[in-house]
Amino acid sequence: MTDLVIETASLRKEFRTRRGVRVAVDGLDLAVPAGGVHGFLGPNGSGKTTTIRMLLGLARASEGTMRLFGQPVPHQLPSVIDRIGAVVESPKFSPSFSGRQNLTLLARSIGVPTTRVAAAVETVGLTDRDKDRYKSYSLGMKQRLAIAATLLKEPDLLILDEPTNGLDPAGIREIRDTIRDLGESGVTVLLSSHILAEVQQVCTSATIIGNGRMLASGRVDDLIGTSTSYRVAAADPDAVRRVLTDAGFTVAEHDLLVETDRPADVTQALGAAGIWLTELTPVRADLESVFLQLTAGDQMGGGQ
Amino acid sequence: MLRLVRVELTRLRWRRAVMLLLIAAVVIPAVVAAVTLWNTRQVSDAEIAGVARDNASEIARCEKKPHRYGLEDADGCQAQIVGWYVGRQPLSLQEQRHENTGLGVATILAALLLLVGTTFVGHDWNTGSMSNQLLFEPRRGRIWAAKAIVVTGVSAVLGAIVFSAYWLALWAVADSRGLPASHAELLDCLQLGWRGAAFAACAALGGYAMTMLFRSTVATLGVLLAVALAGGIVIAALGIGERWQPQVNLSAVVENGATYYVDPPQSCFNGAPPEGVDCSGERHLDLAPAAGYWGIALVLVGAVSVVSFRRRDVP
Repeated sequence: MTDLVIETASLRKEFRTRRGVRVAVDGLDLAVPAGGVHGFLGPNGSGKTTTIRMLLGLARASEGTMRLFGQPVPHQLPSVIDRIGAVVESPKFSPSFSGRQNLTLLARSIGVPTTRVAAAVETVGLTDRDKDRYKSYSLGMKQRLAIAATLLKEPDLLILDEPTNGLDPAGIREIRDTIRDLGESGVTVLLSSHILAEVQQVCTSATIIGNGRMLASGRVDDLIGTSTSYRVAAADPDAVRRVLTDAGFTVAEHDLLVETDRPADVTQALGAAGIWLTELTPVRADLESVFLQLTAGDQMGGGQ
Repeated sequence: MLRLVRVELTRLRWRRAVMLLLIAAVVIPAVVAAVTLWNTRQVSDAEIAGVARDNASEIARCEKKPHRYGLEDADGCQAQIVGWYVGRQPLSLQEQRHENTGLGVATILAALLLLVGTTFVGHDWNTGSMSNQLLFEPRRGRIWAAKAIVVTGVSAVLGAIVFSAYWLALWAVADSRGLPASHAELLDCLQLGWRGAAFAACAALGGYAMTMLFRSTVATLGVLLAVALAGGIVIAALGIGERWQPQVNLSAVVENGATYYVDPPQSCFNGAPPEGVDCSGERHLDLAPAAGYWGIALVLVGAVSVVSFRRRDVP
């Protein structure tokens, strides 16, 4: 038995284009533990959506193995698909059907009672518009309907690819709260997102990929690290830099950022040198800085 | 599987474009039947009197010189002249059958149901909802089969009902007009209709399979148009016989055999034709080889479509 819900080993995906072979995912080893919300981060074109599409059987892997709930996929995907809800890229429904009709067809295809359709629609706040045609929905409403579709199965694993795209701030907060609640209720959520602050707020663990390769993975706190920097300001910055360097502190090259967990030592060293601080602000590392640091070499832009 | 079939049946029923095509598949044969009945309506006494009045001078000329009108005497002049101007034949199932009305209706129905097959699934590809369906049922073979069963089944049932109604209506009207219409003739026409329905259902399946292959209604229709326009020309240019022309094989399926023509062998033009050589140039194509022609084409398209759908990435 394994406590990993998602597991990939040496996963690779190549696309044949006119200009040759393009590698979208290159030897990816992904491990998502059961429970909690796991962030899946990477710049555009880094292979996030391709990885998700391979996990869900929409795309074939060129090499490597994948497991969901310990079952090899895509071969055993039918045995676990009822436990997985997913929104991949933009929501895709029949535009001429109403939201309710779209959900009803999906529910019937897996033998879910249609009463659950009403419950899912209510959960995402679409009850008033569920009989309107899907094509009349705003992007945010389409996104909510896609999330409602994932809830039809009452999934153990929720895979969400940019779920807050197109939502207004209130909608983003609602979805974020829903994701957090689902994670806390025991559902494993794989959240692919560009909004790093969002990931940091809701995710317990994260994987960062770039150019189809894994760059970092682990608990969000571990990825960010515990070390804290302090921004220092005084009338003579050069004197501050000299004094602190002489006192053995590490000072950032372009900014007066001092890495330490004892800010009192900074004030003491500068006070002894007759320098009086005008600012001493703790600057804690965040996921964005970690992300940018790790993906600095990756090309930004482009599709997946 | 039954659950998926039911879902696809609902999806088909809810799709407006499909419903419009199915309605057209009922209305167009009904209009053809109505026009046929109108064009073969009995000539009334008032109509005869009106035509006779309008053509009185010609009737008079005929009565003066009946031999110029191919008549022995003047008695038949009025009937002949009126017959020319009224120009209507009484309703005859046999004649309708031989005048290819049934083949025409079968062709129209096949075209409409082919559009049903392409539109039904082309919409899934166009909107991307196919991938959503696969997130709920990842067994692609089942998805392909469920949709195919629904498209073919609905087309077959609708075709059978439309054709049966078409020929039964003609038969009933002929009977009510006191015209000869035997049960054997009716059965012959019904069988023609059912073969037409079977062909139309296969056309729907073919359209569906091609769209699952090309993933676009427009692409499928483009390929079919190209085949329709260039296929016959290519077959003729390659010197392949008329036996392989699609329309000859369509006629043979619907009408239980068809006649086509070939160039007689050169030996037929050198004096007396050799023994055992058919110099008439006329050949007969039976139902079985024509059904095989279409069957092989359908199986090939279907097999490529299934393999492609199972293997290719879904957008």
